[in-house]
Amino acid sequence: MVRISKNEKIFLVCVLVIEVLLSFFIKMDMSTIAEPRAKLLTIFGWQIPFNGINIATVLNTWVIMGFLVWVAFVVSRRFTPIPSRLQSLIEMYVQGFDTLCREVLGDKRGRQYMPLVSTLFVFVVLSNWIGVIPSFWRVFKGLPHWMVIEEPTRDLNTTLGLGIMCFVIAHVSGIYFKGFGKYVAEFFEPMIEIGNMRIPNLFMGILNIVGEFGKTISHSFRLFGNILGGSIIIIVISNLTKYIGLPVFLNSFFGLFVGAIQAFVFAMLALVYISLMVNE
Amino acid sequence: MVDESWMKTASLLGAALSMGIGAVGPAYGLGYASSKACEGVMRQPYERNRITKIMLIGQAVTESPAIFSLLISILLLFGSIDNPSIVGMMALVGSGLCMGAGALGPGVGAGFANAAACEGVARMPEYETLILRTMLIGQAVSQSTSIYALVIAFLLKIV
Repeated sequence: MVRISKNEKIFLVCVLVIEVLLSFFIKMDMSTIAEPRAKLLTIFGWQIPFNGINIATVLNTWVIMGFLVWVAFVVSRRFTPIPSRLQSLIEMYVQGFDTLCREVLGDKRGRQYMPLVSTLFVFVVLSNWIGVIPSFWRVFKGLPHWMVIEEPTRDLNTTLGLGIMCFVIAHVSGIYFKGFGKYVAEFFEPMIEIGNMRIPNLFMGILNIVGEFGKTISHSFRLFGNILGGSIIIIVISNLTKYIGLPVFLNSFFGLFVGAIQAFVFAMLALVYISLMVNE
Repeated sequence: MVDESWMKTASLLGAALSMGIGAVGPAYGLGYASSKACEGVMRQPYERNRITKIMLIGQAVTESPAIFSLLISILLLFGSIDNPSIVGMMALVGSGLCMGAGALGPGVGAGFANAAACEGVARMPEYETLILRTMLIGQAVSQSTSIYALVIAFLLKIV
């Protein structure tokens, strides 16, 4: 049984009253729900091509990258034999991904690809979690662009960029480790055998090449769809209940839980696609 | 040519089709997974925490086709209407139908994987992490078809 002191009761009642009062002033335009909030169309009078850039995605991505670099810097400055809390957290994370990659790719190549996979995971998971920070852009209009907090993975550009990066890395390492001839020949498996001759199977080749692009599309759209769907559900249901109480639980399920699982799935699929190309 | 009310009718019909049909498959998958988890707990009551954990993680992935259906449904309900024509009307209905029907199979399939993982943990609890990893990869790949349906539904909504 959790005991609540008198001051905490007063605080909770105040929060609830303020929420109820605020709920009368909240009006949201539901028709622009899926569109980016902060679009930058011109820089110094110069028109940006491709329909503008989503400035919130860029800023939040840079915030996450800066945070990751800062944590890495702070932890790696002072390693101690008796680890501090932060150091033991980082050690657990590195060790977990190290064993994972070495199980899938073997000892030597697992060590080579471990930084890529673990960085993908931690970047995507922080991108999914940054949306649970409450920001007032959903309620009040006309805020400056830099105050918008939303998930970078809610934008297709981020996830498609990561997906294409994994695609290129997998195929380049496939060519590097297997050689070009063997890499191309693998697309036309199983070969048609007539006597001693082995003729490449063109039909299977077309299917495999289309399948490679399908892999990249499903890899990036899975993350995008889940995060966009979760954030839209959070906005709509919070708006229907006037932002009282329920957003906490919605954010903890769709933001934290689904975000962590999807980030793990994203990193694992990248690892599996690389291993399909690298392993003989 | 076609006035706004017909476009609104089409998008409402599309939203209903998307969520209504799309709820069937994931519901079957989720129920199947939880029934297998019940069997697993019955077989090994002391491993109930592990079995419940893998059931919940798997179900969070299994219901992502339903989340896609809800996404398309909400977009059709609240989204802005442009291009009022017969073609635009049919595209809105087709968008809902595409996502709804596309969520049927992947929901059931991912639920099967989740159920097998629950059984596996009940049988061999010490291989929990290996089973979890295999289940997540398999579920993710088996859901690719619902993601293709999502892409086409988005394109239909935009056109």
